[in-house]
Amino acid sequence: MMNKLLILLLTLTPLSAVAQESTSANIIGVGSSRILDTYINQEKYSGIGFTYLYIKERARSERRWNSIIEHEIDLSSTKDRSKDNQMIEGNYYLYWGLYRHWQLYGDRLLLQAGGLANANLGFLYDTTTSNNPAQGRLSLNIMPSAVASYRFPLFGQQFAMRYELNVPLVGVMFSPNYGQSYYEIFNRGNYDHNIVPTTFVSAPSFRQMLSVDWRASERWSLRVGYLGNYQQAQVNNLKQHVYAHRVMIGVVCHFPNVVRP
Amino acid sequence: MRKFVVICFLMSLFTFTACVDEDEFPDTPQGNFEALWKIIDEHYCFFDYKQHEYGLDWNNIYNIYKVRARDGVDKYQLFEVLTDMLAELRDGHVNLYSSFDNGRYWSWHEDYPTNFSDTLQRKYLGTDYLIASGMRYRILDDNIGYMYYGSFANPVSDSGLNEILRYFAFCNGLIIDIRSNGGGDLTNAEQFAARFCNEKTLVGYQQHKTGKGHNDFSDLEPQYIEPSANIRWQKGAVVLTNRGVFSAANDFVKYMKCFPLVKIVGDQTGGGAGMPYTNTLPNGWTVRFSACPSYDKDRKEVEFGISPDYAVCLSDDDFRQGKDSLIEFARKLLAK
Repeated sequence: MMNKLLILLLTLTPLSAVAQESTSANIIGVGSSRILDTYINQEKYSGIGFTYLYIKERARSERRWNSIIEHEIDLSSTKDRSKDNQMIEGNYYLYWGLYRHWQLYGDRLLLQAGGLANANLGFLYDTTTSNNPAQGRLSLNIMPSAVASYRFPLFGQQFAMRYELNVPLVGVMFSPNYGQSYYEIFNRGNYDHNIVPTTFVSAPSFRQMLSVDWRASERWSLRVGYLGNYQQAQVNNLKQHVYAHRVMIGVVCHFPNVVRP
Repeated sequence: MRKFVVICFLMSLFTFTACVDEDEFPDTPQGNFEALWKIIDEHYCFFDYKQHEYGLDWNNIYNIYKVRARDGVDKYQLFEVLTDMLAELRDGHVNLYSSFDNGRYWSWHEDYPTNFSDTLQRKYLGTDYLIASGMRYRILDDNIGYMYYGSFANPVSDSGLNEILRYFAFCNGLIIDIRSNGGGDLTNAEQFAARFCNEKTLVGYQQHKTGKGHNDFSDLEPQYIEPSANIRWQKGAVVLTNRGVFSAANDFVKYMKCFPLVKIVGDQTGGGAGMPYTNTLPNGWTVRFSACPSYDKDRKEVEFGISPDYAVCLSDDDFRQGKDSLIEFARKLLAK
């Protein structure tokens, strides 16, 4: 099996040397956010959210592994169904990972699979309550991930479709205990299961992005797509989710690789 | 390539894991009633204590009020029913907030004499008193310092407390009047109490809920007051209390009772030993309730108040003479 894979990879190596390139993408998005956090409230909140996403993909033809780094910033303003109560959400996500790559159908299809390390720092703030108005977010995760990219011509132009999927495996997150106040944690220093190990069962978050790139020039592409980031956790008898759906648009800068002999 | 397929297959399994979600009650009178009852059932922290004290049975409360919260009642009627239900908890920290009214249980102070008169207080403070860190203060004519702190929501500062205690430095004693102080920020109470503390002192315990059950609580965590690094009061002090002393002010009395040079004079405090949380109903009304209980240094409940060292009430005779019975008692106590 390994030999076949090796032969396949060796066969594809000259093609991948042509096809692979490093890219950096700056993308912004707007869409809906849905929030639940039973530490603050039993009610669900929904509203509008904005996202900035930076993706740096580094590919070197002579290496089997590509690297990726992503910075994602989400901001949302949401209301409950009565429209009387408002919740503000902010999250920063850092993703860093390595992908093993496979090149198929000439240089048209690039498949990548590997893992990401994800760090998240964020907050929820209920503007209408005063006693337990906020919730902090802090987590680290290992996420199996995959990316598929397919290049195709259309109307004489070059396009590429890209799909990325990140799912959780294991991690660790901060959470107050069920009825524990932040006063107890930070003023009194009374810790009670506040650093919680998580798995894909207790924190079944996942994230996906589908995008289409139009190659406007050798150096630049225009990217439009959809980003879905579905953060979920059920720890310390508390439930929380932040579902972010975004329509994304941005530009991709290409850095063609120099093929080493 | 097969590796890629295997990885993607495993990943797709993860994506089918269950959503983390919470059922919502409908925005109807019955739905709002159910939501409120459930919020209190899962988060309120004094069920056991109050069942022992006066027979509170939250499941029975559900049956009593469910029929009153039937669909068809208007929002004013529903508000009255829900407020009545919450009043069964006999808790000043439990409120229901709507756009037209604040539902409340205030019997903890309304059913008792106030033992405080701002008319009398003005005779002691006059008009040329000083104000710092939310406190009004002056030296009385028998060289006793007097300060009035009306709300722990007013922030105290170290520099402000330094100035106040420096001003009182040559006084024979200090009266700290917190009557009708309804609470505020607990850290203000701790910061103030630390000025009367000379060694790390156990002042109480605190715990929190760990689950939805009425008895799902964490271990008791001790509360300590540590001596302030700034100016500390080393003479006698009296804290004046009445039934309006509630929440963070109640905690302040709990702390001060632990210090040997401090005496509590007046009426029993109003209580309020549960740190409040808030939540909302489907119709947007906000409910506040006690979520984290605290206890005194002997692990006893202080939810219904703290007894003074000296029980003193405002007498009609003193009132007619323009004297505040509690202040006068405190002056004599400090003069001994």
